[in-house]
Amino acid sequence: MSTGFATALGEITLVLFTTLAPSGALAFVLMGAALLREQGEARVRINRFLIVPIFVSLIGLVASATHLGNPDNALYVFTQVGHSPLSNEVFAAVVFMGLAGVYWLYQFADRANSRVQRAWLVVAMVSAVAFVAAVAFAYAGRTIVTWNTPFVPVALCLNALVGGPVLAVAGLHAANWEPAARGFGRTMVAASGVALAVNVAVYAVQGMDLARMANAVGSAAALVPQYPAMVVLFAALCAVGLAMAGVPLFRRAELSRRRAAAAAALVYAGIFVMRFAFYMMHMTSGISL
Amino acid sequence: MGDQYGFHFDAKLCTGCKTCMLACKDYCNLDSASAYRQVYEMQGGGWTVLPDGTLQQDCFAYYVSLACNHCARPACMEVCPTGAMHRGNFGLVSVDERRCIGCGYCALSCPYHAPKVDRLAGHSAKCDGCAARVREGKAPICVEACPVRALDFGPMAELRKRHGACADLPPLPASGETDPNLAVTLPACAEGRDVAGRVSIANLREIV
Repeated sequence: MSTGFATALGEITLVLFTTLAPSGALAFVLMGAALLREQGEARVRINRFLIVPIFVSLIGLVASATHLGNPDNALYVFTQVGHSPLSNEVFAAVVFMGLAGVYWLYQFADRANSRVQRAWLVVAMVSAVAFVAAVAFAYAGRTIVTWNTPFVPVALCLNALVGGPVLAVAGLHAANWEPAARGFGRTMVAASGVALAVNVAVYAVQGMDLARMANAVGSAAALVPQYPAMVVLFAALCAVGLAMAGVPLFRRAELSRRRAAAAAALVYAGIFVMRFAFYMMHMTSGISL
Repeated sequence: MGDQYGFHFDAKLCTGCKTCMLACKDYCNLDSASAYRQVYEMQGGGWTVLPDGTLQQDCFAYYVSLACNHCARPACMEVCPTGAMHRGNFGLVSVDERRCIGCGYCALSCPYHAPKVDRLAGHSAKCDGCAARVREGKAPICVEACPVRALDFGPMAELRKRHGACADLPPLPASGETDPNLAVTLPACAEGRDVAGRVSIANLREIV
């Protein structure tokens, strides 16, 4: 039996999508939460920079669309909402991107109504959370034994909790929102660190669970022979990324925008490694190559 | 819609010649990278040296010719985001190419490795039970091609009455998962004993 490398490489656009979009959505929620507390000038700046998480999520969504063989038929996806987990995912993604995108554009209206803006933002934030949940459960096909476990949705949500706060810090910091370089920034990095610790633990237990799985073709462990190394790499990349942002924040030193962006990029690289491992471990209960 | 149709496979008769598979490839114009029906060569057992120095063997082998089983609870239909994977006449499950987006989730979820994604055409493709031939009163091409009559096709109720309801034989997954419309006559080596865990696919590199 070959490893699952070819499977993951074949689905590389989905690896990218599930790396970027859930964390981007959560960063949107966190930046939105910061925005709701602000008035005036700060609010305008954060509004502008909401494009950062929207853009990151959008890159993921566009990447996922490129793996389709025939995008012309994409509208049929909406006929199975409520039936197919994949339809739910796409529907949630479109709702979130639509609400977030229109919200972002509305700020440039000549006479933007601030009440409408606030309400719209809250709805978009709720749709972002729903989107993360929809992605988490999109892969739970009952015949795909390695994906149909509680670890998969839990790990995906934790991925978002690891990546979202760091991206939010980078975005808010770019918007010159002061708390991002102070208390809020520290809270975000700490929250991401806690999520990372839990995420590594979940991956460790998932690894043990994989060891007992096999089908007619081979074992799940053989599909991802480097699983332990990949978990270590994930933990290392994310930890270094968090340290990059966290060290200046906790030392009360200056956090540069570039450093905040690099920190987010490193954390995303870590998440990418485990999303790749996820597609490598694909295995049905019967015959799967 | 009428009766649910399906396949019967007789592992006692099959010689592993793969004519079914090639007839299918020819009829459906498939290249070397794809196959709707495939023959799995199964092998198990081995040789042991006894204390007195003599050798004893319990080797066994059999073949499983497998296409889509047009399951009663198909995993492919459950996950299909567009409804392209659907059940049509004779209860046969097939791809509506005008709806399919080629996401490949059917191929990822089928435990029988039946649907394939035709990357060139941009949609999924699989055995449709030769629905066009069946409509004309003919048998699917694989059934007609089999030189030892190890394959049969017809209303499942009839096939099960004639051959029994067994559909569990490695490398197949537990039949309760998707309720395949498949009746299997077990090979002699698997009759009355469970070969699961003692058998492996010998021709894995041939499987696409």
